[in-house]
Amino acid sequence: MTDKKDIKEECIEQEQFNFVQNEKRIFDKKFDTKPIGYFKDAMIRFTKNRGNVVASIILGVIILCSIFVPILSPKNAEVLEERVAFLPPRIPLLEDIGIATGYKSKTDQQVDMDTIDPETGLGLPATIDSQYIIMDTLTNYWVECTEEDELCIGGTNILRLDSGSTAVAVNTAMKTYMPSINSEITIIVDEMFGEGAELNLMMVDGFGAYKVVATITEAGTYTINPFDTLTSLFTFTAIRLELRSDDASSYASLTSIEVNDTTQEEPILFLEGFEFSELELVSGVDLDDDGEPDYAGSWGRSQGQRLMSYFEYDAYAFVFGEKTENVFSKSEYEQILIDYADVCVISPDPDNANGWLFSEGCPIVKVINQTESVWVDTNKDGLRTDNEEYYNYKLVLNYAQYKGYDEIPYYIFGTTSQGKDLFKMIWIGARTSLILGLIVSAINISVGILFGAVSGYYGGTVDLIMQRFSEVIGRIPWLVSLSIFTALVGPGQTTLILVLIINGWIGIASITRTQFYRYKGREYVLASRTLGAKDGRLIFRHILPNGIGTIITSAILSIPYVIFTESTLSYLGFGIGHGQSLNIFGFELTGASIGVLLNDGRNKMRTEPYLTLWPAIVISILMITFNMFGNALRDAFNPALRGSE
Amino acid sequence: MGKYIAVRVVWVFLVLAIILTLNYTLIKIAPEYPPTTVDAKEIYYARQVSDGYMTERVERNEFIVISMNNQELTIPTNAYYEDEDGRYRIYEPISVALQYFRWITNIVTDWDWGVSTRIAVNQPAFGVLSKRMGVTLKLNLIALFFYIPIGFFLGIIAALKKNSWLDNVISFSVMIFISIPSFVLMTLLLMFLGYQWGWVPTQFPAADLEGSIQFVGLILPVLGLSFGAIAGLTRVTRAELTEVLTSEFLLLARTKGLTKTQAVLRHAMRNSLVPLVPGIIGSFVGLLSGSVIIEKIYSIPGTGRIYLRAMTEGQYDYNVILVSTAFYTTIGLFAVLLVDLSYGLVDPRIRMGARK
Repeated sequence: MTDKKDIKEECIEQEQFNFVQNEKRIFDKKFDTKPIGYFKDAMIRFTKNRGNVVASIILGVIILCSIFVPILSPKNAEVLEERVAFLPPRIPLLEDIGIATGYKSKTDQQVDMDTIDPETGLGLPATIDSQYIIMDTLTNYWVECTEEDELCIGGTNILRLDSGSTAVAVNTAMKTYMPSINSEITIIVDEMFGEGAELNLMMVDGFGAYKVVATITEAGTYTINPFDTLTSLFTFTAIRLELRSDDASSYASLTSIEVNDTTQEEPILFLEGFEFSELELVSGVDLDDDGEPDYAGSWGRSQGQRLMSYFEYDAYAFVFGEKTENVFSKSEYEQILIDYADVCVISPDPDNANGWLFSEGCPIVKVINQTESVWVDTNKDGLRTDNEEYYNYKLVLNYAQYKGYDEIPYYIFGTTSQGKDLFKMIWIGARTSLILGLIVSAINISVGILFGAVSGYYGGTVDLIMQRFSEVIGRIPWLVSLSIFTALVGPGQTTLILVLIINGWIGIASITRTQFYRYKGREYVLASRTLGAKDGRLIFRHILPNGIGTIITSAILSIPYVIFTESTLSYLGFGIGHGQSLNIFGFELTGASIGVLLNDGRNKMRTEPYLTLWPAIVISILMITFNMFGNALRDAFNPALRGSE
Repeated sequence: MGKYIAVRVVWVFLVLAIILTLNYTLIKIAPEYPPTTVDAKEIYYARQVSDGYMTERVERNEFIVISMNNQELTIPTNAYYEDEDGRYRIYEPISVALQYFRWITNIVTDWDWGVSTRIAVNQPAFGVLSKRMGVTLKLNLIALFFYIPIGFFLGIIAALKKNSWLDNVISFSVMIFISIPSFVLMTLLLMFLGYQWGWVPTQFPAADLEGSIQFVGLILPVLGLSFGAIAGLTRVTRAELTEVLTSEFLLLARTKGLTKTQAVLRHAMRNSLVPLVPGIIGSFVGLLSGSVIIEKIYSIPGTGRIYLRAMTEGQYDYNVILVSTAFYTTIGLFAVLLVDLSYGLVDPRIRMGARK
């Protein structure tokens, strides 16, 4: 409350308080200012709200982008290019400060054990050439494994019984060792499990039969001299490990076995981890002479460890670097030599007699070899033989130059699963959405205006019937009309457009009808009618133009709703889809819309979040700015409606 | 008033009947997709005959059988010929109009909506839907109780602090959340909360998992459903309350000596609630159809997902489509009816259906 005190202090002097043109004679005067028309007035109101102006400018930029980017961008958005699929976003300038660098991360990549650096203790992954790896991000870690391969290190091996069997055994190869009085066998048992389970260490005695050297029943480290129990050993003996138990759940977990000669430093035999697991299961031995082999069980790895690496790598350099093509057709090879005649200079390869090198700047780095020629008769009439020579090259390409890029290109939004430029795809999608929005809105507006005009102008029974009709149509949920058209036409663009126009016109119709009720009783309409104007003339020349402002603004507000529904249906798979194309008045639109792109990204949210993020951002901005623009337009044309959203 | 309600209820049933009739006849024109396996097919066609949608006869005439063997006869739409070694068992649909009356009779007398052909082969279609109603309704009710207080609160704050920075922030957020399609919002929420940060499960947890996981699993769909609804409610509350705050009776209340809080709580709030209550009832329909998309994105086993599955290309399950149509249309129509009636109930000054 600006108190009375303030007003008192602001008291206006008596003499200042007089009329400006008091006692002057006023004649007709010219306007000092220019007259403001309906549209100019609306424009002034429109520009008053700065937020709406910004939104309209952004909307304009989006529309311009969707027109010009698909035309001007040289990037691929049409054909499948598997090699450049799933490239992350890479943006100039931003990449220098570490955002959108185009690096991709990989986890669980097997480390090549030969590359372990003694200083840092880090090993390089075997899958990707080290020149592309960002070394700061490289880390190694151990992962448990049970596979039988050399890189699964350490751990134990488990000798296990099959159900119903009482014995299982494995043999070392016959190579094992020359037995001598000084030899010792060391076996480390990690765990023994099972009631009455016995692990027998057996060797071939002088008579050629396997004899038990030692029996182990508990976990521990055992050192055994075979000559303690046996008097003679076969010259080339194998070591057999036999598990016997009446309990089928028994198993023995063994860490290693080692054979030493106390006169030598090096062990004669040392087995652990993967090598230990390569012992062979013994089969076909009949223990109880019943004619059936008795050994049955398994021998497998357990608790092994594998060295894995996590790292980031420069996906762009990797993709656009050198690429070996095993089959490269002769015709394409010759075409490249013609196209790049000035930069492709051949020189012999000192390391490879079959191949040759190319000078720098040529898409082909070097040829490794030429495949054997095949002679094919190309003359189809069979009268003459036109033998033509066919062969291929195995060569190394510089992929960037092969694709026509002087340097590695920037895909600022990344690439899709098909190797298409996401940036271009998004604008193509936005274009499809906008054109579809315009076309569907145009249909809705025409139908709506016609329906509303007839209903409002004629009134009475006609109005009543038409109102009931539009009420029933308007009450059909979109899911229901979708199901009907899907069953009748099948999912696709026809269904999409039908669903959008089936009850999209009702809003416009009811607004038009209100406008007609408002204006049809006015005097100028009556005047025109008395002059003999027909209904059509009254509707379209006299009443409609007066209500057109309201109708147009509500029509513009219906465009974002169409885009909204279109993208939702396409996302659900009922609208536009890949492989479809839309031909409207000569515009050939591809089957991409933003809803389709979002649907594509749905299964890649964990690894390729940008496939979802960018389309989502663009469609959100499009919808927000379109709504703000529509509201601003409505406020500008109908100031009375301001604030009632 | 009583007459008005009666007329409205009759009108609801009329519209429902028209929509179902349209749906039924149009769908029956399209080619049918019976079950795929031979056994299920036999059961299905026997059932169609016993329900009265099809007739069954055996063709023994040699000439006809031969020409049928050679596939020279054109088979009418949706008929099924079973080869029984030298003769044919022929199932033919009766006319669509008669089928329609059989269908209505079956529903009215036995509550029999036909059997599912693809989703749960030869199970009653209504059972397929009703099994999933619980999840959908639970989700929507939770979202309803979640969004109403928040929407009110934000709307009241925005109205009381009109044209302050707080109001501007709230109004701007409202603009954003009303514009963004719910599937985009849900996808973004799922991507960040689910996949990137791992705070919530990336799929709706199965019913047999423990309670805490069930609860966490509700977060995403409830958020996805609520954002748009909160924005809508905030906007309406703000508009209504601002209007009431500038009205004369509030000035009178202040001049009588009430504090601002008293005036707002006792006079302004109550009056601004009048147009809001019907809106909230109406919003339930909006939530329901929004939940169709969210159910699909988050793999929630609800009615919406079943509806979309029944519409899978080449796997159409017409009876499930019909019963789902009936479900969604009924809820939609009664919500509109409730909205209209509640105007009169909440504010007796509004006389619904009154003449001039």
